Order: sequence, then structure tokens, then C-alpha cells
Amino acid sequence: MKTIVITEYENNSASADYTLDLAKAEIKDCIGCWSCWWKTPGRCAFKDLDEFYHHYITADRAIFFSQVSKGFVSGNLKTLFDRMIPLYLPYTEYSTGESMHVPRYDRYPDIEFYYQDSFETPAGRQIFVDYIQRVFYQFHSKSIVVEPLEETISGGGGRN
Amino acid sequence: MNTIILNGSPKGKSSKSNSQIFAEHFVKEMHDPCEIKSIAGNDPKELARYVAGFDAIIIILPLYIHAMPGLVMKFIEKLEPAPSEGKKMGFVLQAGFMETAQHKYVQPYFRRLAEQLNYYYLGTVSKGEAAGIYMYPKMFKKVLKMVSELGAAYESTQAFDDEIVKKLSKPYKLSQFQLRLLKVVDIVGLSNIGWHKVLKQNNAYEQRLDRPFL
Repeated sequence: MKTIVITEYENNSASADYTLDLAKAEIKDCIGCWSCWWKTPGRCAFKDLDEFYHHYITADRAIFFSQVSKGFVSGNLKTLFDRMIPLYLPYTEYSTGESMHVPRYDRYPDIEFYYQDSFETPAGRQIFVDYIQRVFYQFHSKSIVVEPLEETISGGGGRN
Repeated sequence: MNTIILNGSPKGKSSKSNSQIFAEHFVKEMHDPCEIKSIAGNDPKELARYVAGFDAIIIILPLYIHAMPGLVMKFIEKLEPAPSEGKKMGFVLQAGFMETAQHKYVQPYFRRLAEQLNYYYLGTVSKGEAAGIYMYPKMFKKVLKMVSELGAAYESTQAFDDEIVKKLSKPYKLSQFQLRLLKVVDIVGLSNIGWHKVLKQNNAYEQRLDRPFL
């Protein structure tokens, strides 16, 4: 079983077949050029995530360790989500009763998404959890678990 | 009320930015048009400091993966709470998918963000099926006129007009009729004509289903 980790925490000890360390890597923002759909299908105009793309779509499981920034995912992690659009086709399907991106690949990893629980209210936490669930539903992952970080790794090791 | 309009498109002031087109139409019929600034190309920290000097901030942005583009979140991360009461914050979202229910995951976040930053929340205006605006502006004349009316009404009332917001946000969900129609259009291949035309122009049609990262 291939497991990859995407983390915003330094010194994350989780063993993985591949780690994308967002504490170190500042990902280039999507510039909305649509090269990945119109010019070089499946490939982003930027090359900084090529290794990540390969490991993500060949993994069985992707584990995220996410910070919470102003009640949402950080700008850096949001940019990663934006840059995952080359993994899907430009076409829209309606079989679920709503617009969905069509998969480019046969399978996508199961998701375990752990976040720093700094929410002041349950409502704020719910907005975050619902958003993450929806992102990976739209990204065609079959199993999506979204849980607070404290229950997973002791000490947190946060970087603020 | 001194309002700044922020264009949250990564394309910035490009003529291919639908958010820029929305922003220009939003101020078009104002007596005293608001300043428009792009988030792209500006330092987020400096921009956050700059907008703090305004009474109201309206961010006009595309929907990227059910929320704001990454660079808009990088700007939001730099916003500080308003030191005084009475400041306002609002959002105008435009997206490719037809139904505006796709926006419902980020709308409550925008409300919460405004409140946490001690801004009065003006609301979030949603428009779906907007990806083609810069390519076919004539087809979107009515939509852009409504955006101008929304801006003019905002100038006189400092609020988003409920009726215009309601009209722009339709459809919220796809009706059974629309779904049946879309599926038929899909089966006969009509829905992808536009995509395929561009792919062919770029000599990329044969590669359209490529899986380069396996």
C-alpha cells in the first residue's frame, strides 16, 4: 500500500513513500492559464509539482497534516488544491445531479486529512470540515476522513 | 463610503480575466466609480495595509476548487481586524459550473471571516456559468448589465440589492429538466464542442485524455 504525506508541519515523523513538505515548499500559484486542459493536457505550465502529481495518482492513501489559517486552509495549501486541476478533465458530468469534473485517471487515493483544531466554535470547524470533504469528493476520492490533529500526533509540532 | 474593489483573479488586469470584467462593470454606472485593484501582482501584506484605509472592501473573484484562488487566501491571511466598527466587506463570486450551489461551501466562510475581522458582512453575490464571458462578451450582455446595476445600487445604498443578487444566482441547483437536457447534450457531444475547438487550435486534441503522470 503506497502512502504519501502532504504536511505543513516541520519534522513530521510519519513514514511515507513520498512527502510533500509544505513547510519548506512554497508552491507556485495557479495563474489560470488553462494550459493543463487546452495546450498540454494533464500537464501544468509549472513543473514544481510534477513529482507530487505522479505520487498522488499512484498512491493508495494521501495523508494531509494541515494548519488552519484565518479559519480556512492556508494560502499555500489552497494553491496546492488549485494546482490539482490537471488531474481531471475539462469536461463536466452530471450523473450525481450536479456539475462534477470528469476524472482523468482511473483511481485517486483515499484521503486522511488532519487539521490543527484552533476553531473557537463548532460552526467554524464545520465550515472547514465540510469544505475539505467537498474538495476530495469533487476530486473523486472514495474514502475521505477529516479529523483534528491532536488525536493523531502528540505534541503537534506546530509552526506559526 | 469609501469602497475599494479587489479583483481576485490570478489573471489580474488581463482582458481575459472575467473578474476584472465584472469589476469594471460593477463600477461602470457609478457617479463616482470605486478604485479597482488586483490582488495578483501586489504584495499581500502591503495590499492588506492599503485596504485597511477604506470603509468597505468588495472582493470580486473566480471560484477555484469550491473557494477562493490560493493567492486570494494568501492575501486574506494578511488581513487585520478593523479597529473601528462600521466597516463593510462583501464578495462577488463567478464560476464556470452552472449552478451556484457549488458556492455554498465557501459562502459561510466569507461571512465568518468578515465577522471575525470586525467587518459588517455585505453578503456574497454568486454567478455561475461565467467562464465564457471574456470569450463571448456579447452573449453575456444581460449578465454584465445586471452587474452594473448591482454596482449602481451599491453606490446609493451601500448594500447588495436582493433582487439582483437573486437573479444572478439562478440556477441554485440544476432542475430535473436541465439535468435531462444536459445529459442529452453530453451524449451527442455538443457540450464539448468549445473545448475541442480550442484543443484542436492548440494541436492538443489527440492528447486530450493523456495521463502523463502514471
